[in-house]
Formats: sequence, C-alpha cells, structure tokens
Amino acid sequence: MTTEGPGPLIRLFGLTKGRARPDGEPIDLVAIVTTLRMPADPGDLIPEQMKVLQVCRRPTPVADVAAQLELPLNVTRVILGDLRREGLVAIDRPRPVAQAFDERLYREVLHGLRSL
Amino acid sequence: MDFAASEPTAATAPPPMAIKILIAGGFGVGKTTLVGTISEIRPLHTEEFLTDRSIGIDDTSAVSGKVTTTVALDFGRITIRDGLWLYLFGTPGQDRFWFMWDELALGALGAVVLADTRRLQDCFPAVDYFEQRGIPFVVGVNQFDGARRYEPSKIRKALGIAPEIPIILCDVRQRESVKEVLTTLVTYAVKGVAVDPDPVG
Repeated sequence: MTTEGPGPLIRLFGLTKGRARPDGEPIDLVAIVTTLRMPADPGDLIPEQMKVLQVCRRPTPVADVAAQLELPLNVTRVILGDLRREGLVAIDRPRPVAQAFDERLYREVLHGLRSL
Repeated sequence: MDFAASEPTAATAPPPMAIKILIAGGFGVGKTTLVGTISEIRPLHTEEFLTDRSIGIDDTSAVSGKVTTTVALDFGRITIRDGLWLYLFGTPGQDRFWFMWDELALGALGAVVLADTRRLQDCFPAVDYFEQRGIPFVVGVNQFDGARRYEPSKIRKALGIAPEIPIILCDVRQRESVKEVLTTLVTYAVKGVAVDPDPVG
C-alpha cells in the first residue's frame, strides 16, 4: 500500500489531523469494536469513518479493522477514538487471558483447531 | 444469514473475544508461511508508524526533523465460532522493532518460537524475550528440506530451555503440523503442562 513520495503520508496526516494517538483510553490491538448506531447526518463523517461503522456492525477486533480499511494501526486507532467519542462505536478491552480461559473455552478452542 | 437467531442468544452468549498468539523466530524461518498455512484468510496486513516512539531505538540524532518509518504487521485469523477468534501475529524480525513486541505480547495467550536447526541462534532473542516476561511459549523446529535432523533433547540443551517447555518438530507448510503446534501451545499455555495433543496421531 505504501508508495514512494510524501503523498500517502500527507493523506494520512489529514485523516488524523496530525494526531499520533487516539482521544481517550488507549486502544488495544485486539479490542473488539462494535458499531452502536449510525450518525444522524452521515455527511458529518469521512469515508473511512463510515467504513468502520459498516465493518463493525459485526464485532471486529482493531487489527482486523485496520486491515480492512487498509490503514496503519495508529491511524485506525485515531479514527476509532473519534467514533468512540461521538458514541458511535463501543471498544471493549480484551479480558485478561488468565481470567477468560476456563475449561469450557479451552475445550472449545482445542476442538475448533482440531476440526480445521 | 439468520438474523433472528442472534437476538435471543444475545443475553447469554459470551462477549466476542479475540485470542492473540505470537509467531516469533529469526528472519526467514517460516513465520509468514505458518500463518498462511493455517489462516482462513490470506494473511492480513497493516502497518504501524514509528514516530516519536522510535527515539532511543533509531538513532535520529544526525537527522533534522522527525523521521517516520513504518513496520509491517502481518497476521492471520482462525474463527473458532462466531465471536471467538484466534489471531496469529508474526513478530517483526528486526531488533530495532522490539517496542512492537511489547504491544503484541500484551495479553497474548502465548507464543510459538520457530527455530531452524541450521541457524538456531536466530531464535535466542525470542526465547529470552518470552522467558523474561513469563509468556508461555513452545518451540517449533521447522524441518527444512536438506537440513540435518536433531533430537528435541539436543535442541533443548542448545537453547537452554526448561524441560517442561514443549519442543515440536514441524513442517510449517503442512496444515496438520501447524495444528499440532497450536494445540500444543494452547494446552501448555492454559494447563501449564506439555500434553501430547493427539496421542494416536
């Protein structure tokens, strides 16, 4: 995706208004993003924000959102932070693995892997 | 697509969860091949900007202004069921991207360290990294064509790793082999023991 010259960087700078970090709480690589609602006036949003809202109708991890948008992770995070601030998406921090992994989940993952 | 079915279960279904697994090892050892072999989709790609965080890592003192570079991040996905996924992240090979490892390792279930017996020392940094942080890992010895075969016990000795850490001889081009590596890791990470995941196989 990255090409020679400053073009893509200027474009990305514009998307984030020069910010390197999202507003609010840091956003984990595998935090789950879920669209809460569509904006009253879609004209208020840039195309990338609209795409996030479409993708995340099904809960989607942050890294996957970045890949689908074909944008760097940090740029994606800034976009997500803005959508969160507007109340359009929920971003759920991953639960600590040690707490999340009970016997049931373990069996489920093992079974899932074996049936691939 | 049955949208109606998702509504009644919404209250009882566990929240969506993405489980992170790292694939580490030296350059050219087969990390991307492993991810590609098992991922249900073509490995996804994104990038991370190196900006102010690269200070102290990259020597920018001789350069005026902020230097911006990117590090590629490729990963694969395995869907266990709706709302439960395994994400396999290949770790960047170059030493100057260690900061990226910290982000990748945060909250990870565990790691696969891929080793090539012809260049065993290439995986030492990954072994050290996971040992120091207490992140469960298994060693997958990728069997390259034409490379000399070694007993796992010799590899264990050469790597200086604890007896309970599983060492699996594997071929990252083979799906069944990668499945064995991953099931071994999941079992080791969850149970803290090395269990033969499929004794009859």
